[in-house]
Amino acid sequence: MDLKKLLTPFTAWGNITKDPVTIKDPFNERPGADRYRGFHKNDIDQCIGCGTCEVICENEAIDLVPVSDSKDGDSGLRPMIDYGRCCWCALCVDICTTNSLSLSNEYTWVSTDPEDFRFVPGVDKKDWDNNEKGWKKPDNYEFYSLKRVHMDELSPEERSDSFIEMMKGYSKEQAQQEADRCVQCGICTATCPAHMGIPEYIKAIRNDDLEEGLRILYDTNPLPEICGRICTHKCETVCSMGHKGDPISIRWLKRYIADQNPSEKYKEILEVENLQPKGKKVAIIGSGPSGLSAAHYLALMGYEVKIFEKLEAAGGMMRYGIPEYRLPYDQIDKDIDYILSLGVEIQYNVTIGKDITLDQLGKDYDAVFSGTGLHLGRSTGIPGSDNKHVYASPDLLRWIVEGKEFEVPESVVVIGGGNVAMDITRSMARLQMVKYGKVQVIATALETEENLPADLEEVVEGREEACIINAGWAPVEIEIKDGVPTGLHVVKCNSLFDSEGRFNPQTDPNVKEFWPGTMIIESIGQGMDLSYISEEFKTKLEFGPRGRVQTDEYFQTGVEWFFMGGDIIEGPDVIHGIANGHKAAVGIDIMLNPEKN
Amino acid sequence: MQKGINNLIEKFGASDLEVRRPGLSFITVENTKAVAAITHLKDIDGYTILSLITAVDWIEDGIMQLTYLLNNPEEIAEIGLRVMLERKEEAGESMETIHHLWPNAKKWQQELKEMFGIDFPTSPGLNDPFILEGWDAAPPYRRDFDTNKYAEETFFPRPGRETHDPAEHMKKNMYPNNPSDYTNKKYNPNR
Repeated sequence: MDLKKLLTPFTAWGNITKDPVTIKDPFNERPGADRYRGFHKNDIDQCIGCGTCEVICENEAIDLVPVSDSKDGDSGLRPMIDYGRCCWCALCVDICTTNSLSLSNEYTWVSTDPEDFRFVPGVDKKDWDNNEKGWKKPDNYEFYSLKRVHMDELSPEERSDSFIEMMKGYSKEQAQQEADRCVQCGICTATCPAHMGIPEYIKAIRNDDLEEGLRILYDTNPLPEICGRICTHKCETVCSMGHKGDPISIRWLKRYIADQNPSEKYKEILEVENLQPKGKKVAIIGSGPSGLSAAHYLALMGYEVKIFEKLEAAGGMMRYGIPEYRLPYDQIDKDIDYILSLGVEIQYNVTIGKDITLDQLGKDYDAVFSGTGLHLGRSTGIPGSDNKHVYASPDLLRWIVEGKEFEVPESVVVIGGGNVAMDITRSMARLQMVKYGKVQVIATALETEENLPADLEEVVEGREEACIINAGWAPVEIEIKDGVPTGLHVVKCNSLFDSEGRFNPQTDPNVKEFWPGTMIIESIGQGMDLSYISEEFKTKLEFGPRGRVQTDEYFQTGVEWFFMGGDIIEGPDVIHGIANGHKAAVGIDIMLNPEKN
Repeated sequence: MQKGINNLIEKFGASDLEVRRPGLSFITVENTKAVAAITHLKDIDGYTILSLITAVDWIEDGIMQLTYLLNNPEEIAEIGLRVMLERKEEAGESMETIHHLWPNAKKWQQELKEMFGIDFPTSPGLNDPFILEGWDAAPPYRRDFDTNKYAEETFFPRPGRETHDPAEHMKKNMYPNNPSDYTNKKYNPNR
């Protein structure tokens, strides 16, 4: 017997007085390391239920379950984790678009019910919800680019004396790179008034299948060249990517699809070469976005459609209200010509109520849709606003399109801070640049800089073009000398709404300025002109707040055959008009074919 | 520590030295010289402890990287010796065993065989199950292992599980009568 082997086991007794290297479990707590990946935590107020965590989970451990109502920018769903499948890899945390999801460093939890190991973090309260330690996405990497792909544009010097389109459009590489940032959550679709298939057409760009992209666009929007340029892109305001970085350039991607498909191939791509006539006729008043949209979908469903247009070209405010540098006429024509190619007819220079009565249209057609828009400029009513050198922005914008000659003065003041105000401000700046080689336009808005109603890019680009945009000033009086304005007196506007949210500007008369200008342009909103509807006809309609005609879900009025939509009912913007027109087309089909619906 | 590094460079042609911090450096050596270099580090330069052997699958570069972390308790220094193997499509990269230097190396090598599919011929018990009992799929730490596919094929869904697509859920709750559903059905039912 080897004595060493015999004694070796007893050497362990030598450690009896030393501290143990093992832990006295289960009597002591065993906290995870600071960045240990334990049970999930979710800040449910920050989470928008985009489902990106579910998509990336390699183990299908995550389900999205409803916990609250859906609303713009929030599906109302939240991730439920099945810990029978979770492998604690934390990909769900790292991909999270809002940074709401994290892992605590708690990894021990005992329950006798296996169903307890399937719960909604943040909703089903757990002991570790306030545990600060655990895994959070490190700041030094992202699964996707937070910066949107820049679209090339004309420099301020190149565009300041020109109405050439300033945004140059995406190349294929740029579009695919931008499309690659989209996580396909579809949160945007609910907010788009037309509920466009946004993730689907972005996917088509990724797949370089632009014909499929065009088909998806036309499912919900027959004016993609136009909307691809000037849509108010409400979708982008709720884009899940916008929580940590720039939202996806949804509008520019739409434009890319439309730009890349040649108009001569549209009918073949969109499979509309054999539309079946229904033998019924619909009249449409106005060729703006709602009228064109209604015409398009009615034509698809086989209706004979005729549009009655007051002016000599189609497009409504898209042509006569939006400057060419934002929306070139050939792009308007591309969208409209395709709709006309479906058999839609337009009669120009005809005024309903004067050349043909509404009642007559009702007799001659099976249904009538009216989308006559907001063309009347509103006035501030301040002293001096009745001077003949004080203009309404819709009139001037239309004159520019029509080529009508008018005096372009050296100094102009625009009252208003919305997009239309920016349009006329920047248009007048261009005309001044051409005529005088310099710009002197001041736009003045009641709202503060942060609350200007115009899109930020409009304000930024306007300033790049040497326009002065002064926020937070209330117009008081237009000073007139020898029958001509010399400028606008303004006072500081401190707040716009009272404590109950009513429009009630509070001004400080002691802080005042004078903006010099021999032309004053009022651009504080537009009103509707319903003079084409006779007083007798109006008695059959129901009017709501602000004189708007009341319609049902399908934009049908109190007169069965008469539908109304667009800016006179909802909006104002192009995409609401498109959505209204589409829904009215459905309403007309349901009304005319009750037996089939 | 510098002596060990210098020896690796001069005697074994090691390259790509990366000094992570004082007392921890990484360096790359050719696979045919790796075991000799490790032996030298252990027997001559005082790196007597094998801390771990691990692997990284650089699938895009066609490389399977082995890292031997060796510890010198006298100098309180560690060297991570990297060996780049040519990655194979269907696993089976091969490397000489070092279990004759440290008997416990056989367990690291057994794990690497199971999780990455790297072969260490003559390493004892190499093909015995390490933690994946009854595993018949590809080694799961290889980057081309489709975890999701494996989970779908192997595990049954827990009863009562139901998920919701965000866009569909919002449509159902916020705008159930989308006109495009109607018009598509009317004029183009095939879409």
